[in-house]
Amino acid sequence: MNNFKKLFYEDGAFFISIPALLWQLLFLILPISIMFIASFLIYKSGTFTKFTFEHYKSVFDLPHFYVIFRSVILAFFNSTLCLIFAYPVAYYLSIRTTRYKNLSLFFLTLPFWINFLVHIYSWFFILDYAGLLNSLLIKLGIIKTPVHFINTVGSIMLVMLHGYLPFMILPLYTVLEKLDKKLIEASLDLGATRTYTFFRIVLPLSYTGASAGFFLVFVLSFGEFLIPALLGGGKTLFVGTLISEYFLMLGSLPQGAAFTFVSALILILSLLFCRLLLKYFFRGR
Amino acid sequence: MFGKIKNIFLPSMVFFIYAFLYLPILIMAIFSFNKASIGFKWIGFTTEWYQKLFYSDEIWYVFKNSLIVALSAVFLSVTIGVALVWGLYRKNTKLLSLFYSNIMIPEIVSSVSLLSLFILFSIPLGLNALVIGHTLLGLGFVIPILNVRFQELNYNLIEASLDLGANIWTTFFKVVLPFLVPAIVSASLLVFIVSLDDFLIAFFCSDSTSQTLSLYIYSTIRAGVSPLVNALSTLMLVGSSVLVLLFIYISLKFIPENND
Repeated sequence: MNNFKKLFYEDGAFFISIPALLWQLLFLILPISIMFIASFLIYKSGTFTKFTFEHYKSVFDLPHFYVIFRSVILAFFNSTLCLIFAYPVAYYLSIRTTRYKNLSLFFLTLPFWINFLVHIYSWFFILDYAGLLNSLLIKLGIIKTPVHFINTVGSIMLVMLHGYLPFMILPLYTVLEKLDKKLIEASLDLGATRTYTFFRIVLPLSYTGASAGFFLVFVLSFGEFLIPALLGGGKTLFVGTLISEYFLMLGSLPQGAAFTFVSALILILSLLFCRLLLKYFFRGR
Repeated sequence: MFGKIKNIFLPSMVFFIYAFLYLPILIMAIFSFNKASIGFKWIGFTTEWYQKLFYSDEIWYVFKNSLIVALSAVFLSVTIGVALVWGLYRKNTKLLSLFYSNIMIPEIVSSVSLLSLFILFSIPLGLNALVIGHTLLGLGFVIPILNVRFQELNYNLIEASLDLGANIWTTFFKVVLPFLVPAIVSASLLVFIVSLDDFLIAFFCSDSTSQTLSLYIYSTIRAGVSPLVNALSTLMLVGSSVLVLLFIYISLKFIPENND
């Protein structure tokens, strides 16, 4: 150990870690700090003038608040739906089956590697006014005239569920797969029913995977830009779309920065709230 | 009777969810062979769109851009990532956890903050800006993967190498680097696909000459369904599947083997 340390410091090996640290400093920490400072300044014709709280004040009016509120609700519903649909898949693949392990691993990993735009695009075929869902429903006699599915909140929710479900399945699967199966056997041997075993053994032990997936999906859905931009018809604004408008179309960097920081703060607060909720649900009994 | 229903309930639910995940993509792939250029009626089989795709200069141009950015981001993030983890080996692990924030911060935040930086310091937007952003994103994937691998590294091997007279750099190239190869390959594949898939950084930090595949698809499908995009998406789907197979093969084959 001493030998190693001495050699390593003498050869100056610490310096080889500087490029990555510098990259992080210059392109992540510095930009975010700049944005934070800029959110307190007035920006006119290329220069920053004086200190102000104006931008933060303007963020706390009702329309802005609605946008953030809508994103929180969307993120919460999407994560909850993902959890509900991901659990049976992760449970079945990890605990019930041992066959087709590699195949299931492939189908669990594949969605992460497909371009997100392709995911969204594929729904156009189903949800379009002349698409497959409408022609199916007309053939079945459920509806007479086609329905506009695209540009509704429902289609945004559906495609978000589709896009983020794998992000929930994978962490859950990883945790459930490592779960000691002897615990389940012991519980069953000692006379507990399958349902009781599930709620007392499997569910509490899967908390780490469920919360990891939940937070991942929550953060991703909260800042989602593409799905509302392509399927929202430009009507329903969410945090991601509004931030992009501030920075691209309105060209007002400080207001956009202030809005970004307020939304990030509310994101963190809602995550803390969800943590309590999840803890109660998984471990509270 | 009830027991039977219970036994098929879970498998059928799993089947239903898998159908939900893969059916839309499958339908898209089928329609990429449809003769009709607009609408959703199946007219007949054709590979015309794939031929058109092959002869489209614009597609090749954006593909080239995407490839340049992805390969540069892979090279940079893996090189400085390996250097970082080796430089901090057995020293400061707190600095490593700094890099987990790259994937935890919403991408919209990191991309608009990068845009502010580029604007304020008048750094030109374009491919360079994309490489900077994607390398940053890549470090968030490379460093955790390498860190896990480094923890499996048997320290006695390094001691032995040093005791036998090799210096620290020979030890790195002869002992540590070969051990890292599987992790480096999977990290590279991951950064490659993350860079190809990225939309937000490209959306904010590119100029008119540095369109990427994602930006091309985005601007095309804003106007609706396009047969060229069907073919392109299907090809990308095939590419992704090949990369996943490679990724799984590496993680299943090499990592358990090298453990002892």
